[in-house]
Amino acid sequence: MTENSGGFHTIVCLKVVPRPEEVVVDPQTKTLDRAKARSLVNPPDLNALEMALELKEICGGSVSILSMGPPFFEPYLRLAMSLGADRAYLLSDRTFGGADTLATTYTLAKGIQKIGKWDLALCGEESSDGATAQVPPGLAEWLDAAQVTYAFQMAPADQGRMRVRREVKGGWEELMVSLPAVVSVKGNVNEPRFIDFDRRRWALNDSPVTVWSAADIGAQADLIGFPGSPTTVAGVRQVGGRERRKQFLEGTPEEIARELARLLKTQAGSR
Amino acid sequence: MSGPASGNGPVSLDDARWQEVLEATNGDAWPCYQCGTCTAVCPWGRVREEPLNVRKIIRAAQLGVEEDGGMLWLCTSCGACETRCPRGVPIVRVLRALRSLAWKKRQVPKGLPSVLWGLYQDGNPYRLPPSARSDWAKSLEVRRFQAGDEMLLYLGCTASYDRRMQKIARALVRLLREAGVSFGTLGDDEPCCGEAAMALGHAAYAAEIAEANARLFAAKKVRALVAISPHCYDMFLNHTPRLEAGFKTLHYTQVLAELLKAGRLSFKGSVPKRVAFHDPCYLGRRNGEYEAPREVLRHIPGVDLTELAECRENALCCGAGGGRMFLETPAAERFSRLRVRQAGEAGAQILAAACPFCIACLEDSANQIEAGPAVMDVAELALEALGAPAPAPGTAVQGGRQGG
Repeated sequence: MTENSGGFHTIVCLKVVPRPEEVVVDPQTKTLDRAKARSLVNPPDLNALEMALELKEICGGSVSILSMGPPFFEPYLRLAMSLGADRAYLLSDRTFGGADTLATTYTLAKGIQKIGKWDLALCGEESSDGATAQVPPGLAEWLDAAQVTYAFQMAPADQGRMRVRREVKGGWEELMVSLPAVVSVKGNVNEPRFIDFDRRRWALNDSPVTVWSAADIGAQADLIGFPGSPTTVAGVRQVGGRERRKQFLEGTPEEIARELARLLKTQAGSR
Repeated sequence: MSGPASGNGPVSLDDARWQEVLEATNGDAWPCYQCGTCTAVCPWGRVREEPLNVRKIIRAAQLGVEEDGGMLWLCTSCGACETRCPRGVPIVRVLRALRSLAWKKRQVPKGLPSVLWGLYQDGNPYRLPPSARSDWAKSLEVRRFQAGDEMLLYLGCTASYDRRMQKIARALVRLLREAGVSFGTLGDDEPCCGEAAMALGHAAYAAEIAEANARLFAAKKVRALVAISPHCYDMFLNHTPRLEAGFKTLHYTQVLAELLKAGRLSFKGSVPKRVAFHDPCYLGRRNGEYEAPREVLRHIPGVDLTELAECRENALCCGAGGGRMFLETPAAERFSRLRVRQAGEAGAQILAAACPFCIACLEDSANQIEAGPAVMDVAELALEALGAPAPAPGTAVQGGRQGG
């Protein structure tokens, strides 16, 4: 905990993702063609931000937003500030392109080190487009910080520690974690607050968004973007949505039930 | 310190809160002299032990003290209280203003921020993909609106996404085609009207949506907009800036009534049923349109039009307005349950309505009682009356359960 600063400095990592239903896979490059897809903030990142803002309400302190991506991410960072974050940092450089989770976490870690003093880094459990859930643990490794994954509850405890509950199969476990720590937050664990319209004017026009290049954060060229990414995507296939049969049964409830049972028996799995 | 207005004992006043409430309500609560008629006529009193104490909420607004949270969110904005208020207090407006203050303090029921996020991110309160908005029309090949078209058919979120309500949209398309009306839709680009934000009291967001919509309609050169839901209709008619002088906002029942009167549409089939019409609050009480839907029903050969015990200005709300569509109401506390019983008492085989929210509530309640009436939209009845050949697959309009 930052001494005497009255609260924690929480950094929320935020990603802008394409709407999943609008993404097309480019068969040549095996990459996602997001050109035609509209974007939104990765949904669990908003849960992480909500957790950070609730912590700020209880303990004071401040919330920073950190993201790696092209300049078009900026309005989404401002959206986060209209919810209650205080400032944002965008790591934006052509050389960051093509990063896998190793290069991404290295870059984000360099960004966090550049920001300076921090207590907590919160991430959504995973991104809706990548779905690896590797970024929070990777980030903790680069930063040599404690890590908790799939958290759903967090509260300050004694000795500057955090009491964090994380989801495990069949229940939950409670961890006491010393700071700084990287915590990944489960999706849907809270209901993200809606935009604060009084705050939005400031967020859209005057809130501080700092853009840093690879040189600004002192990133090593061989650890970022394509060169820093040992992972290659060998194959990607688009799975078409299933068209429903749109069959409607008529008759008395008994007749409908009988017909439904017959159809399930004879036609289930027949496509 | 501000004390709560509930319970006994002294109430301490808070100048800051008083100022805040005064600004939000614009002094609308002042004329109230606390007769309590509003509380007495509020439908909640008929389904709950503890009624929605409208009088007390208004009193708290006058004094600028906090009122118990939950009650504020019960209001369905049906307006029954307003029509009886001897002092002409715009009660719904006051309650919406108080809700807007609750948004600022983030004292809103769980689930409601998600509704607004739905509007913001997906353009509909149901959080469904915007790219699926016009899927309902796939089999109909409804074209995009073009400048010069007689009207823009505005679906609204519920008729676009809800499978049951899509039938209303499809029926309307066939009726407009039958009458030779040139019309189009905005397809997947159709925006939400913003009524959910309005009803839930987020005035600032509702105003922002309304302004964007006004610009869109002006850019598309829309001369007349026809809405399926009375909620969208009210939003466009009363809360959306009018950028074009001649811009007309219509409810689809008004369009059908006009087409029938002009002889552009006629019914060759018949619906030999006893039909009662349920007045949607946003069409009737709020906007004074009681005749158009009845006019359409009267044109249908065979229809024996009857009235429910409470109709027109006195109509009982279905329970879904004021954002209640997005909050859960226990089955025993649903106004629609009473409404469906009234239909039975009137001997109606079909309970007709002209609002997707009403249809959803009434049909749900009708399905929960023995021998409930069939619930149909006026557009669906009109389609049946066309006497057209059997509709193509996927466009079938079913009459719901047979009444009796």
